Amino acid sequence: MNGKTVVKIKNLMKQYGTGGTLTTVLKGVSLEICAGDFIAVMGPSGSGKTTLLNLLSTIDRPTQGSVIVDGRDVAKLSNKELSKLRRDTIGFVFQDYNLLDTMTLQDNIALPLSLNGVSSGICMEKTMELGRMFGLSEHFSKYPWQLSGGQKQRGAVCRALITEPKILFADEPTGALDSRSTRELLECLKRVNDSGQATILMVTHDAYSASYAKDVWLLNDGQMQCRLSAGASRREFYDRIADMQTSVGGDVPCA
Amino acid sequence: MRMITLAMQNVKSSFQNYLAVILSMSFTILILLNFQNVVHSDIFDGLGGANAEYIGVLIQVISVVLCCFMFFFLWYAENVFLTKRKKEMGVYVFMGLTNQNIGMLFLIETVLNGVFALLLGIVSGIVTTHLFQMILLAVSDIAVEISFRFSPAPILITAGIYSVMYLLFAVKGYISIVRSSVLDMVSASRKKEAVIQNRFLLLLKTVFGLGILSVGYYMAVKEGGQEVMGNVLAAVVLVIIGIYLLFGGALPALLLGLAKQKRILYRHERNLWVNQLIFQMKKNYRTYAMTCVLLLCSVTALATGFAMKSRYAGMVHFRNTYTFQFLSNQKELDRVVRPLIEQDNSIAYASEISVLTLDASLFETRFTYGNYALLPWSQVKALAEGVGLEFDFAPPEDDEILKASHMYMLSLITDHSAERVVIDGKTYRQTADTNVPYLGYFQELMSFYIVNDAEYERLLPYGQEWHAYNYRIADLEQLAASADKLKAAVSHTKENDTAMAVVDPESSDIAWIKVLYTICIFMFLVFVLAGGSIVFMKLYNDALEEKERYQILRKIGVSEKTLKKSIVCELFMMYAMPFSVMLPSAYFSVHALEKMMDTNLMPIYAGSVGVILAILLLFYWRSVSAYVKHTGVEEAGRSFCK
Repeated sequence: MNGKTVVKIKNLMKQYGTGGTLTTVLKGVSLEICAGDFIAVMGPSGSGKTTLLNLLSTIDRPTQGSVIVDGRDVAKLSNKELSKLRRDTIGFVFQDYNLLDTMTLQDNIALPLSLNGVSSGICMEKTMELGRMFGLSEHFSKYPWQLSGGQKQRGAVCRALITEPKILFADEPTGALDSRSTRELLECLKRVNDSGQATILMVTHDAYSASYAKDVWLLNDGQMQCRLSAGASRREFYDRIADMQTSVGGDVPCA
Repeated sequence: MRMITLAMQNVKSSFQNYLAVILSMSFTILILLNFQNVVHSDIFDGLGGANAEYIGVLIQVISVVLCCFMFFFLWYAENVFLTKRKKEMGVYVFMGLTNQNIGMLFLIETVLNGVFALLLGIVSGIVTTHLFQMILLAVSDIAVEISFRFSPAPILITAGIYSVMYLLFAVKGYISIVRSSVLDMVSASRKKEAVIQNRFLLLLKTVFGLGILSVGYYMAVKEGGQEVMGNVLAAVVLVIIGIYLLFGGALPALLLGLAKQKRILYRHERNLWVNQLIFQMKKNYRTYAMTCVLLLCSVTALATGFAMKSRYAGMVHFRNTYTFQFLSNQKELDRVVRPLIEQDNSIAYASEISVLTLDASLFETRFTYGNYALLPWSQVKALAEGVGLEFDFAPPEDDEILKASHMYMLSLITDHSAERVVIDGKTYRQTADTNVPYLGYFQELMSFYIVNDAEYERLLPYGQEWHAYNYRIADLEQLAASADKLKAAVSHTKENDTAMAVVDPESSDIAWIKVLYTICIFMFLVFVLAGGSIVFMKLYNDALEEKERYQILRKIGVSEKTLKKSIVCELFMMYAMPFSVMLPSAYFSVHALEKMMDTNLMPIYAGSVGVILAILLLFYWRSVSAYVKHTGVEEAGRSFCK
């Protein structure tokens, strides 16, 4: 933790269904994300990763516990305030890119900023800057279906970052990418994080992707099972994450 | 599961998606059935003369127009069904169904939808026939007793026409599916509907579109003689082509140009809706062009109706200038006739004038008439002053001539300049063509020309001089009382050759024009509603297709309010584009009608545009709420409120 707290959750619980069909997906999860963090949340299918992301990003509300985003308790915010919080504070990146296919890449990236009423000059300036940073400038006039998966996902990251959110939530961003595109994307994410331009929380099941993060948290059966921090090299970190995954499978506590 | 069961399940589950199309198809059936019922009823038989026959022909013509409309409408509806189904066909391919199986499934579903629309249309048609006839007669101001009778013929004809057309398109869809490649069906995704457009082609379409449209406008208002009919037909074709090219070229080019100007594009929601509009225009420009043409037809239909009404009133007024008219070789006939009229009626005004009839062979005119006659200028002037009619013509020169014609319903000749009349080898320059009823009904029977008195005298030896006596009684209700007595004045001997015309104001031999007026109003409404419902239907279907896009936007944090604003702008443009393109085209169309029917139609143009605007605004309002609902924008908004 190296900065101001951006997101803080305490004793978070989420249940779905009623009576006999009641399912508890999250069982009292607590964590704190500070500015400059790059956290990867890992876990097997059904461990509650997506539910946790939905709660953190205020798309869903918890059954119990609190979610504080940028110092504000989301439970106390009106719908309009929540909308504003999502718009100004949070950036989203999804596995399936979610770029709008009726727009060029540049227009897709500029969209959140222009919708926020920012002047068109600034929109263009920021779009260009992000395009350069993510190596996308030459593809600006292309439509999403003319781009590779990696280019689309980098475009999606640019779109998420253009509003300068306090935190970027990435849900399996490398899930649909080949190894080269995965590496390119992760390096971009690491670069923007290292330069202090983004605080990132990434949900992934891939140890390689997680090794780019500064911290890896393992979620299992609705509970935060353990946490690993990056060491001297990424290779070494990757090995530890892989070991941790294996140990969780065999119910062995984290090293 | 049997094919029919699966098809029925599909129809049931997607009924809401097709509801707009089904209702619109039912509406076309309802209209056609009502018109067919009028053709097969005897409500206009009581009008006498050729009225029933004319109205029958008129309604058959309108039925043909409606059939054409139905044809295009069903074509469109079938395309909607096919496009929507094609997106689901990939699933069936993986389930192991053959193209024939999928085609058959589509055919059964389409037929089920068609049968439902037919039943709905027929039932609602039967229910509304009586009302339709009542409205038709009331607006036409025709008093006829109508009874609620319904013969099976209109139902069978309507159902037959609809079924043949519908099955034709259903089979076309079946063939299209059977011939589709498996890859096409599996990858019927949006990327195939590429947004990228060939700029050169767009430019070419723009230039040609604007050029063709301009020529069309010019042809519509170009003055001329007999060629006007050809010009008008050419104008219709050119304007329709021009509109299609404008929607396929100029408007997309304009929007793409706008999308390039990022400083303009990146302002609030513009980025969202302008890009979406470009996509929609590429995909649906034909639909919007068709809507524009329908709106254009609606304004033209209403203007035609009002022009007809105005001309009808003018014609009736013209004909009723006098009640009794005599043409005689007797100079003192007034002494005989006047007392006879005054026995039962008082004379409101009367006139008398010399008429020189000439053999038609002496005349050379643009059009050949059966009877020609000359009137001396001074006598016409005196007659006009006596009767209170307008007459502001200076005495013609020896080589000048004035035409006193009657009111026409429609004149294709819009250029009367440089008209020449040759009488016995001498050429006269026609300086004016008036339809002031100096000789009332006689002007409908004979071609009258006014020359100066000297020319009249000079031409006397070439023909026979007659005397016209015209009387208008004060109380037209008492016409019959004098009519019988006046017959005594009629004589066909050489010494006393006298003919009489009695103009009955109750005569309804042109009553069919009133029905035409009503039908024009009706067609106006049909065209506007059709245009509006086509856009509505298109947007309704788009909303279902665009749900995913709005989900993405919600996911990336775009607020409900912003999305609604974007939808409001996007849908506004969808209605505004056909409406705006229609405005100049309709202006020229109405202007052309003005010239042909010699009636001021600009207030009608303004009024009809106002009504269309109001109707389209209603459709727009409904579209916005349906779009917001079906794209899930509102739904998503509510779910966040949990």
